Amino acid sequence: MLRKRLVTVLTFNDGVLFRTKDFLPDYRYTLNFVDAWSVDEIVVLDVTRPGSGQRANFLEVVRRFAGKCFVPLAAGGGLRHLDDVREMMGIGADKVVVNSAAIRRPEFITEIARAYGAQCVVVCIDARKRAEGGYEVFADFASSPTGLTPENWAQEAVRRGAGEILIQAVDRDGSLEGYDLELCRAVADAVDVPVLILGGAGQWQHFVEGFREARASAVCTQNIYHFTETAIKSAKTFLTKAGIEIRP
Amino acid sequence: MTATIAIVDYGLGNLTSVAGAVERLGFLPRLAADPAALETADKFILPGVGAFGDGMAELHRRGLADALNRLVLGAGRPILGICLGAQLLARGSAEFGDHRGLGWLDAEVVRIDPADTNLRVPHVGWNELRRKRDSVLFKNVPDDALFYYVHSFHICGDRDVITGETDYGGPVTATVEKGRIYGTQFHPEKSQRHGLTVLRNFLEEG
Repeated sequence: MLRKRLVTVLTFNDGVLFRTKDFLPDYRYTLNFVDAWSVDEIVVLDVTRPGSGQRANFLEVVRRFAGKCFVPLAAGGGLRHLDDVREMMGIGADKVVVNSAAIRRPEFITEIARAYGAQCVVVCIDARKRAEGGYEVFADFASSPTGLTPENWAQEAVRRGAGEILIQAVDRDGSLEGYDLELCRAVADAVDVPVLILGGAGQWQHFVEGFREARASAVCTQNIYHFTETAIKSAKTFLTKAGIEIRP
Repeated sequence: MTATIAIVDYGLGNLTSVAGAVERLGFLPRLAADPAALETADKFILPGVGAFGDGMAELHRRGLADALNRLVLGAGRPILGICLGAQLLARGSAEFGDHRGLGWLDAEVVRIDPADTNLRVPHVGWNELRRKRDSVLFKNVPDDALFYYVHSFHICGDRDVITGETDYGGPVTATVEKGRIYGTQFHPEKSQRHGLTVLRNFLEEG
């Protein structure tokens, strides 16, 4: 039986790991630190604002992870053209994560799927709750409203070749108050590809809710605060006891 | 002398992780983007992230398909195909149209079609290997070992070539083998300890 996944999302600013919660650099990270975990998958995202860093620094991060960590690696942030994707795959990413560029030019998704297969394309959707109800997709580091609903955009992304959807509740990021289950559930019900939930996990029970109530195939956390070697094992023990089928 | 392992570079595969894993196991990985680079290698790994049609087109364009035909089928050098690389060993695939593969295995590549409609495609994540036949690749691999899969298509065909399956709303082909031609639908280079064991088995005994 396919196991549910526990995914670590790491964000980098100019090649330095940042905790998104307060946008502070965290120099504690080492590769060994990641390799030793029983994490099921790693997502690395470049959150360097345009013009404020060297792309090469992030590429070096991807290269190091790919060469040393024998777990699946997805990489994203700032990918705009197939050449950017080719570069990322060339240095060891298994999948790429696209967001704003796919909103501006949805055919980008198809181009990647045709070259690398649909399983290679993860479309990340940043969503915020609207005052009048429902949710809206935001682009450009969650700063620009798009008028799209997460369900509709997810469906279009899948039609165009997305293999997975990473749904992020922007307002929950770093809150530790739990995932936005309603948001993820709406997206998971709208598409038939795996959906990864991100934003707000603060305790192991939130993972259970993500799988059970939001129908996520994978739960993600970005706050590396939790992620010492024992933390992942502890989370997995908790999930196993809760009846979630997960890799030990 | 340490065996030289050519990692076939056809412009689409994920080469870094495979090379990293081979190196970690104490072998010399060499990226091979042209026939000359294949000639001097002892074994080949055909890695695998990509679409079938583009993959085959690039293998032909770079002259790698002909060279592999000669060195694998003719000279009997071992090869391990990973994910798409394993699928390319088959006769053909229906991914984005009809495409012909290397045709070394009596099999076709078809879309996964889980009986349970709650199961999502692509099949992404860790799943058990169920052995159907003995294989040198399985040495020191426990029965319940989990491997990492990420794919929408799998190899379907002659039962004789299928050595292992996994379950995803029905059997999904996990490993194939014919003589010294091996393939894994899962990614050994991404499957931690057990993945490295499978890779080591190929490098040492394949």
